[in-house]
Amino acid sequence: MTAPTDRDLILRARRGDGEAFGELVTRYQKSVFNVCYRMTNERREAEDLTQETFLRIYSRLDTFDLEREFGPWVRRAAANLCLNHLESQKITAELDDDRDAGESSQPESVVEVRERSEQIRVALASLPAHYRAVVELRHYQDLSYDEIAGELHIPLSDVKSHLFRARKLLAEKLK
Amino acid sequence: MNHLTDETLNEYLDHELADRASAETHLAVCADCAARLAALQALFAELDSLPEEALSRDLAARITPRPSLPAALPRWLTLTATLQAALVVIAIIAAAPFAVDLVSPYLVTVQMPSLTEIVVQFQSQWTTWLDMLSTFRFPAMPQLPPLEISSLMLMIMLAGVSILWLVGNGLLLRKQA
Repeated sequence: MTAPTDRDLILRARRGDGEAFGELVTRYQKSVFNVCYRMTNERREAEDLTQETFLRIYSRLDTFDLEREFGPWVRRAAANLCLNHLESQKITAELDDDRDAGESSQPESVVEVRERSEQIRVALASLPAHYRAVVELRHYQDLSYDEIAGELHIPLSDVKSHLFRARKLLAEKLK
Repeated sequence: MNHLTDETLNEYLDHELADRASAETHLAVCADCAARLAALQALFAELDSLPEEALSRDLAARITPRPSLPAALPRWLTLTATLQAALVVIAIIAAAPFAVDLVSPYLVTVQMPSLTEIVVQFQSQWTTWLDMLSTFRFPAMPQLPPLEISSLMLMIMLAGVSILWLVGNGLLLRKQA
């Protein structure tokens, strides 16, 4: 038996089928979590925001255009939710060097990759919230400048300036 | 020779630059701009290399959306129910004095009347009540003429209230089923 399509699951979820929505969560929770994790660099916070994203999505399922893909829609919603969360929290970036403690037994190359990944995450987390959002939408969700402007409700000129400044800051931090 | 701006290099890599050909012509001959482009490409590669992390818990089991709430009752049905409740309250208030009058003689005398007597008494009270209602006049207002309610009108009103009550309850019960 073939697995139900996203469209089928959405239609069932709209009729109140919690199991169908659970299947959608299973399919997309990892990618949504990674959006939140890149935006916050806090694992627990990212998981809470992932959960919040799906709860909000559920209440807005009726507004979803079935002709479009579900995954990008959820991930964009997650990026927006994280941006609002960061702005409301006024989070300032903090370095957390203790994150990977206890992993010294791993091969050197693996440790190096993880350390570099951590540096990238910390660098991303050090950016202002709006810069993080445009980087997330451009680099990880592959949206065009116009699409980012529409998604974040900001002018095209702001998308460009945020993105270029964000990259400049990242390049400096990752030297 | 004018170098390419940072903005142009960014737009070039983002495939958002309208005139790619002239940028490529410049990059082919300018080592400085080519180096800046390479540095930007390296940053793109670093961002792309960020691995996806796994969740520490399965959220599907935790997210159990509440079943959708039953749709709100139509406005006309809500109004009917409200009107019905208001009429019942008015009827109870209007009937209370008569009910007290009807019951009080039996409270004083312990003697139990026969069923016939009760029916006759009830009939008598009912007729009295209807007579009273039919001759009831609201206090005369300076602007309004006195309102007279005939027995027929009273019966029609009572029948109307009863039908409204039955229909309203029927609809409410069917909605709950």
